[in-house]
Amino acid sequence: MNSIIYEPNKYAKLGFKIWPAMFKDIYRSRELVWRLFLRNWLAKYKQAVLGCLWALIIPFIAIGTFIFLNRAGVLNISETAVAYPLFALIGLTVWQLFSTGVTSGTQSLVTSGSMIAKINFPHEVLVVAAMAQSIFEFMIKLILVVIFFAVYRFCPPWQAVLFPLALVPILLLTLGLSFLLALINGVLRDVANMVSLVVTFLMFATPVLYPAKSSGNIFFKWNPLNYLVNTPRDLIVQGRIVDMEGFILSSVFALGVFLLSWRIFYIAKTKIPERI
Amino acid sequence: MRDIAIRVNNVGKKFSRSLKYVMSYGVRDISKNIFGINAATHLLRKDEFWAVDDVSFELKKGEALGIIGQNGSGKTTILKMLDGIFMPDKGKIMIEGKAGALIQIGAGFHPMLTGRENIYVNGAVLGMTKKEIDRKFDSIVEFADIGDFLDTPVKYYSSGMFVRLGFSVAIHCEPDILLVDEVLAVGDVNFRKKCAKKMRELLKSDVTIVFVTHDLGVLRHICEKAICLRSGKIVHHGDIDGAINEYMTLPAETAHGQQGLKEIKKVSVLDGENNEVKTLSTGEKCSLEISIETKEEVMSPVIGLAIYDNTGTMAIGTNTRKSGFKIEKIKGSCAVKVEFPYLNLIPGNYKVITQLYDDSMGTIDRLEDAAFFQVYSKNYSTGYIFPEHSWSIR
Repeated sequence: MNSIIYEPNKYAKLGFKIWPAMFKDIYRSRELVWRLFLRNWLAKYKQAVLGCLWALIIPFIAIGTFIFLNRAGVLNISETAVAYPLFALIGLTVWQLFSTGVTSGTQSLVTSGSMIAKINFPHEVLVVAAMAQSIFEFMIKLILVVIFFAVYRFCPPWQAVLFPLALVPILLLTLGLSFLLALINGVLRDVANMVSLVVTFLMFATPVLYPAKSSGNIFFKWNPLNYLVNTPRDLIVQGRIVDMEGFILSSVFALGVFLLSWRIFYIAKTKIPERI
Repeated sequence: MRDIAIRVNNVGKKFSRSLKYVMSYGVRDISKNIFGINAATHLLRKDEFWAVDDVSFELKKGEALGIIGQNGSGKTTILKMLDGIFMPDKGKIMIEGKAGALIQIGAGFHPMLTGRENIYVNGAVLGMTKKEIDRKFDSIVEFADIGDFLDTPVKYYSSGMFVRLGFSVAIHCEPDILLVDEVLAVGDVNFRKKCAKKMRELLKSDVTIVFVTHDLGVLRHICEKAICLRSGKIVHHGDIDGAINEYMTLPAETAHGQQGLKEIKKVSVLDGENNEVKTLSTGEKCSLEISIETKEEVMSPVIGLAIYDNTGTMAIGTNTRKSGFKIEKIKGSCAVKVEFPYLNLIPGNYKVITQLYDDSMGTIDRLEDAAFFQVYSKNYSTGYIFPEHSWSIR
């Protein structure tokens, strides 16, 4: 029989032994992540007639807006390697993996507050399940991307098979930020509001819907999201990684954020139920 | 000698009263943890108080412990610490085996999902694998007794069905230690009986139960040991009767209304010779005298009286109006006496609550725990009531 001990500062005392415990906890709860993901998914689209079609309609309209602005000449976007709608759609799809992931991840603990206060389960699954939701919506949008390929008679180069691999860093960054922000949002609800503002700002500050031709721009240069969004897109559109150095540095940064935030979350999670 | 299942050593948990401090302490504690500094949790900061203080107890496998106490005395906080939802701020808790808690039934239920879907979600949250749930599915549905509603979203369930389903899922997790909060009160009589029966079965199979309730009847039925809490501290630990007596005699936290102006001063228990007593015997002539003091005049007041047994059930409830006794007015001090020529209460511990109403039955004052008395009997054998009776043979 395994005995469990509860005492003050339980996880802070673990030191480096915390890493195996963290991996064990998340591995053990993989089924729970799946269940919660299904639950969120079913609950989200159950009472909507159009159901999961919404996951297609929303990005479609967003892209439509940009195509319209581009055609009307309000937004003057220079030549892109492929037709602009295709370029923008791929960029936006990757971007939304990050943006919806962070926004829903930040709120994941608070929206399940009553569950956290009444049931003992590893809280990180809520964040991971929110992330899974964002990944699933991403995959639905990929259908839209393929339709656009057909419409514009575009055949992606073979390097595009590396696309999923190139997404790993942005996923790690998203999950890492979600852990940290969800934790802080448990205590200070300001965070959720701030996140949606900042994410909107970041979308325009990052070359998602326009090409990053002015590489001298200091903000583009030091913005890891620039590389994390553009590298996967470059693989599909141009069949090469345009800025290898930037991508590697950004990936290391993303991994660092992920590991640090995960650890912080794990240590501090015992404080969540009493504060939420 | 059975193995220890739960060991709680000098455990304390503190909370803050104001939201402002909850937020700032939360940020500070979390940042300390981040930098690997152990927060000094055993000290009280401004605006904090001990919700649970210096609580220690041990439970062996297959034992049941009842926790009773008034609202806010720390019962649920203890359960949450035993389940690992809250970490103690002082002391240490050791749990042997898998704990399953019913703090609030259906806490993980999503209102939009059907009963079937929620069984899987809730089961997974409580730590069951899909295979386990598949295997136990029929048994869960059968125990919950929700019939045709299995594929209906749970938001259309009655509160009873909701509780039944939640309890059923939790029970099927097969915990070694079951922590039950006051959750079964919503279910109907049959379901409560079923739950009590199930809990006794679990006890026989060496499951340990910690049970928080206000239903002293059920408590007595399931537990043999109990602790009584007051403001987070244990005031009685041990036999269930002692704990229940302690609970019944806890001074009420409700204050008098309009203090000092019109109030019930005290209630005395009198025997047949009008001596004030603490014990009475079945069949004895006795009376209760209610002393009232009012500075203002009260027109046509009504005085009510209730006697509760130690399961919390009202044994006698009466008032002057129902009994056809009219009081024109009262002013200053007076004593109202109610006489029982033949006391037909069965042996046990009782408490008296009195209430003073105005003409339209609005409460002027209420005295909780107005008096306590014990009834013993030489000739009572068994049963619910003990009326005056005689035997004959022809």
